Amino acid sequence: MNRRITFIAISALLAGLTGCASAGHGAAGQAAESFHGAVAGGQGEQACALLTPRAAESLRSGGEECAQAVLSLNLSGGAIRRAEVWGDEAQVRLEHDTVFLHRFPQGWLVRGAGCQARGDLPYDCEVEG
Amino acid sequence: MRSFLKDNALSLFFLVLFLLALAGQSVAGNADYNERQVAEGGAALSWAEYVTSSDFAVDVAENWQSEYLQFLLFIMATVWWVQRGSPESKEPGKEGTESDSDQQVGRHSEPDSPAWAKTTGLRLKLYSNSLGMTMGLIFLLSWLTQSLAGRAAYNAEQLARLQDPLSWWEYVGSADFWNRTLQNWQSEFLAVLSMVVLSVYLRQRGSPESKPVGAAHKATGVEG
Repeated sequence: MNRRITFIAISALLAGLTGCASAGHGAAGQAAESFHGAVAGGQGEQACALLTPRAAESLRSGGEECAQAVLSLNLSGGAIRRAEVWGDEAQVRLEHDTVFLHRFPQGWLVRGAGCQARGDLPYDCEVEG
Repeated sequence: MRSFLKDNALSLFFLVLFLLALAGQSVAGNADYNERQVAEGGAALSWAEYVTSSDFAVDVAENWQSEYLQFLLFIMATVWWVQRGSPESKEPGKEGTESDSDQQVGRHSEPDSPAWAKTTGLRLKLYSNSLGMTMGLIFLLSWLTQSLAGRAAYNAEQLARLQDPLSWWEYVGSADFWNRTLQNWQSEFLAVLSMVVLSVYLRQRGSPESKPVGAAHKATGVEG
């Protein structure tokens, strides 16, 4: 029993130190997949509901609604290659996209999608906020 | 009880100061972290969440490692190097690990010497270096903790800026890791330098860290 408590305590300490939460990888990945699933299925409203308020706002330009705008970007995702969670931030690499997410009290929301790497510079994302 | 407090007043004083300062750091650090989070549209952390976060861990560990490195270097450098006139130094001519007789070990030990000081071989070797080894071990563990927690905190910032997270090896070669490390080291080294040099010429009556007020500037290894 004592060993079990020690193991749990050490695991919790290491998780705190390294900022890793293994359970979070799955949830962040799921949110990224749900976003791309909604886009692929033509469900703009549902896709916008999975964006952070700032990211959704960034798509509402020129009188166009978020739901229309997000579908017009022709984003494609694919299967998850890798997911990393650090604190309240996550990066999910999909076959055809890299998605950035932020953890809110209600769960993971997409803050960057349709992202292209630019070396040491921040990713250039079609949806960003 | 009163005798215990009197006999251990110095340790207890610093233990209380340490705990108060650490508690204060956790409260101020939490408030600072939450101010930044709110400004960036993120969620605030409770005190319990903050003190178990990598942000708090790296801030604590980077200071710990530098303090233990400071004392480790002070302990080891004063074996081999002297500063004429400093009470922090041995007298010139005594550089080195000194004789068994000077160090009261093996057959030169006293009846009340520690048990391992009366032995020979590996146990004596270990005990003769136990202070430096322990300080060195705590330094290395604190520095390792700084690298792990620092990487976690840095990677969260990287992702928030839409940049790739770093591996542990990449992080320990990064500007963030060395900036945190060296800004602490330089202040510790300056503090030791100040102590060694100022104590040649200045006095603090009654303190064993100072020479007696009337001791000559050139008197070395004399504690007041």
